[in-house]
Amino acid sequence: MSIDHNLLVAVSKSVGLFYLIAMAATALVYSCWPANRERFNKAARDIIDDEDAPWQ
Amino acid sequence: MFKTHYRIERKSITLAIAIIVVASIGGLMEIAPLFTIDETVEHDPNMRLYTPLELAGRNIYIREGCYACHSQMIRTLQDEVDRYGPYSLAVESKYDHPMLWGSKRTGPDLARVGGKYSDQWHTAHLNNPRDVVPQSIMPRYDWLSQTELRTQDLGDHLRAQRTVGVPYTDAMIANARADAIAQASPGDADEEALANRYGKATQIRTFDGDPRTVSEMDAIVAYLQVLGKLSDATQPKGK
Amino acid sequence: MVSNLTVGERQGALAILIVLTLCGLVMAAAAAGHGDPMEMHGYLVMLFSLGVMAILLRGFLAPPPSEARLASYYDDPIKVGIIIAMIWAVFGMIIGDWVAWLLAYPDATFDAAWASFGRMRPAHTSGVIFGFGGNALIATSFHVMQRTSRARLPDQLSPWFVLLGYNLFCLIGISGYFMGVTQSKEYAEPEWYADIWLVVVWVAYFILYMRTLARRKEPHIYVANWYYLAFILVVAILHIVNNLAVPVSFAGAKSYSLFAGVQDAMTQWWYGHNAVAFFLTAGFLGMMYYYLPKRAQRPIYSYRMSIVGFWGITFFYMWAGSHHLHYTALPEWVQTLGMTFSLMLLVPSWIAAANALLTLNGAWDRVRDDATLRFMMMAAVFYGLSTFEGSFMAIRPVNALSHYTDWTIAHVHAGVLGWVSLIVFGSFYALIPWLWKRERMYSPTLVEVHFWLALSGTLVYVFSMWNSGIIQGLMWRTYNDSGTLTYSFLDSVVAMHPYYVARAIGGLLFLSGTLVGCYNMWRTIRWSSAISAAAPDELAPPELLPAE
Ligand code: HEC
Repeated sequence: MSIDHNLLVAVSKSVGLFYLIAMAATALVYSCWPANRERFNKAARDIIDDEDAPWQ
Repeated sequence: MFKTHYRIERKSITLAIAIIVVASIGGLMEIAPLFTIDETVEHDPNMRLYTPLELAGRNIYIREGCYACHSQMIRTLQDEVDRYGPYSLAVESKYDHPMLWGSKRTGPDLARVGGKYSDQWHTAHLNNPRDVVPQSIMPRYDWLSQTELRTQDLGDHLRAQRTVGVPYTDAMIANARADAIAQASPGDADEEALANRYGKATQIRTFDGDPRTVSEMDAIVAYLQVLGKLSDATQPKGK
Repeated sequence: MVSNLTVGERQGALAILIVLTLCGLVMAAAAAGHGDPMEMHGYLVMLFSLGVMAILLRGFLAPPPSEARLASYYDDPIKVGIIIAMIWAVFGMIIGDWVAWLLAYPDATFDAAWASFGRMRPAHTSGVIFGFGGNALIATSFHVMQRTSRARLPDQLSPWFVLLGYNLFCLIGISGYFMGVTQSKEYAEPEWYADIWLVVVWVAYFILYMRTLARRKEPHIYVANWYYLAFILVVAILHIVNNLAVPVSFAGAKSYSLFAGVQDAMTQWWYGHNAVAFFLTAGFLGMMYYYLPKRAQRPIYSYRMSIVGFWGITFFYMWAGSHHLHYTALPEWVQTLGMTFSLMLLVPSWIAAANALLTLNGAWDRVRDDATLRFMMMAAVFYGLSTFEGSFMAIRPVNALSHYTDWTIAHVHAGVLGWVSLIVFGSFYALIPWLWKRERMYSPTLVEVHFWLALSGTLVYVFSMWNSGIIQGLMWRTYNDSGTLTYSFLDSVVAMHPYYVARAIGGLLFLSGTLVGCYNMWRTIRWSSAISAAAPDELAPPELLPAE
C-alpha cells in the first residue's frame, strides 16, 4: 500500500486526537498525583527566598 | 553522591525530550501531509517559470520589503474575488521560493496586478507614488531607476533555484544574463531565444522607458507585470 | 569583569575571538570584489570580535579570581544582558515609532533606501522581539536557573558566549535589513550565515542550561525552568526547519528557501505562530512564574495549574499556526485543525493568567502601592486579554474580517506591549536592586511614571488599531445596492489616517516610558555606593523582608 495524501491526512487526524487525549490525561494525572503534592508545594515556597548563595 | 547526581541529570534530560516530543507532534501531523499535496491540487503543465529578469525583480521586491505591505494571496471570499480577481490557487505559487503570500494589506493585494497598469504607470508610481495617487502612503523607490541591475550572477541564482526544485534547464542557466538583458531591450538579437526558452507570452519591453540600461526598475516592473500571469489554471478554458 | 574569569577561561575566550575574527575575515574576503553585502557583515563580525577582544585583553593579565567566587552566584552576564536589552528596546521602539509615523506621513524619512518602510519594519520587529525580548529572556534565565537550582553557573565563559554571540546574531540580522539582506520570512529574516551562527549559540545555551540544572540541589526542577527550556528547545526546532535554504553562493548573502508555495507558507506560519508561542510566551511565562511570586512574597497560587498549563501550551500551540492561512490555498482541513486548536489554546493560556492573578489575590494593597508588582499584574491581564483575542481571531469567519488588517497589528501589540514588555519591565525593576545590591530602585516615582506611560501608550495604540482594523475590514467587504463594492482600496487608505496618527502617538507614549525606565535603571546602577554600604546586610535583598 502506498502512502497517499488521504491516508496521511486520516492518520494525522486520528492519531492526533488520540495523542491529544493521552497527553491531557498524563499531564493531569502527573500534576494531581498525591505523592507529588508536597514536592510541588516545597518548590513553590522555596523560590521566595533564594538569593543567599549556591548550595555547594 | 554519584547516584543522586545521575538521577538528577536523567530528570532534566527526560524533561527536555518530553518537550521535544510533545511539541513536534503538532508540526509533523500538520506539515507532513502537505508534502504529498501534489496529488490533490490542480495541475498546470503549462506553468511558466520566472525569467531571469522577473526573478531579479522578485528579489528586489523581497529586498525592499514590499511584502510587508502587500499580500499576494487572494482568499476564497466574494469581496476579494470581486476586488482582485479569481482566488489564488496553490499551483500558482508552486515555484515561489519563498512564497510571498504576505500577512498585511497596507496596500492592495498584488497577486494579479500583472497587466492591470502600464509600465509607465508602474515606473512613475514607484518613483513617487504620490505623483500618480496623491493620497498614497506607499514609500518612494526612486533609486531603482538609477541603479543598474546586477546581471552577472543571475546564472547562479537560477542554479540555486533549480537545486530547490524549480525546473530551469541548462540552457536557461547558461543564458541567464543574456536573457535578462534581452527582455528589457526589444530588438535585441537574443529576443527570439528568450521567447523560445520561457514561452511566447514572455513580455519583452523597455519596462522603465529607458532603453539604454537594464535598471532595477526594469526588473521590478517586469516582475509586477507577470504577477498572476504565469499560470492559466484559474482561467476556465474548458479543457 | 574580565578579572572574574579564570586564566583558562580568558584563554578560551581569546581563542574563540580569534577564530571569530578569522571567520569575519573569510566572509569579507569571499564577498569582496563583487559588491555583496556579506562583505560588510564580514567586517562587522571582525569589528565585534576585535572590540570584545580589546576588553578581554585589558584585563587579561589580572591576577586569577579567588576560590571565594564559587560561594556566590555568577551575575556579571545578567547585568550586562539587562543593559543590552534596554538598549535594544530603545532602538527597536524608536524605529517602530518612526515607521508608524511613516504610515501617516510617508515622506517623513530620508531619501535613502535604508530608511524606507520596507527595510525598517523588520529592523523594528527584530529589534524589539530578538534584541529586547531575547536579551531579557537570556539575562533572566541566567538568574532564574541559578537561583532555582541554588547553583552557580557551571563556568564563566559559556554565559558570555551565549549572550554576546546572540547579540552578534542580532547585529548581523538587523544591519542586514538596512542593506537589503533578508529572506523575507517574517520574524526569520536573517540570511543563512546568521542562521547558522544562531544555531551554534543556541546549542551552547541549551548545554549551559542543562549543566546548571544538573548542579541543582532539589531533585524537582522549578516550573519556571520548564518554560525557559521549552523556549530554548522549540525555538531551536522552529529556527532550523523554517530556515532551511540553499545559498546562491557561499560568497554571497542571498539564499533561496528550500520550500515553495503552500508548503513554505505552512512552514513559515508554523514557525511564525510558534515564535509567538515559544519566544514571546513560554519564556516570558517562565519569567512571570518566577518574578511575580517573588516580588509578591507569595508562592504561586497553584503549582499544579502551572504544570498543566505548561503541557497544554507546549502541545496546543504547535497545531495553531495554520490559522494564519484561513481561506487561502492551504487545504481546508489544515485550516480547520488550526482553528480548533487555537480555541483549545485558550484553556492553558487562561490557566496561566488566572494563576498569576490569583497569586496576587489577598495582596492587592501591595499591587496598589508597588508599581513593579503592578507591571506584572497588568502583564497577566493583557496576557489573558490577548490570548482570548487570539483564539477569537482564529475563528474562520472572524478571521475573514480581521486578516490582512490592522486588527492583527492591534492584537500583536496587545501581546508585545501589554504582556511581554510589561512583564519584562516588572521583572527588571524587581531584579535590578537585587543584582546591584541596592535597597530599591533609585526612584519609585519614576517607576510609577513609567507604568502609566506604558499603560496609556498600550491602550492608545491598541484602541486605534482595533478601530482602524475593523473599519478597514468592513470597508473592503461593503457592497452597495447595485451589488458592486462600495469603496476603492484607496478610500480605506485615506480613512486610516487619523488612526495611524493616534497609533504613532501611542507608540511615542510607550517609548517615553521606556526612556524614563532607562534613566531610572541607570541611576540605580550608578547610585552612590555610600547607600549600599550603609546597608551591611547586602546579601539579603530588602524586598524579601516583610513588606511592612
Ligand atoms: C508602507 C506600505 C507599502 C510598501 C512598503 C509598499 N507599498 Fe505598494 N502600495 C501601498 C499602498 C497604500 C498602495 C495603494 C495606493 C497607491 O496606489 O499608491 C500601494 C499600491 C501599490 C501598487 C498598485 C496596486 C493596485 O492594484 O492599484 C503597486 C503595483 C505597488 N503598490 C507595488 C509596490 C512595490 C513593488 C513595493 C516595493 C518596492 C511596494 N508597493 C511597497 C503601500 C505600500
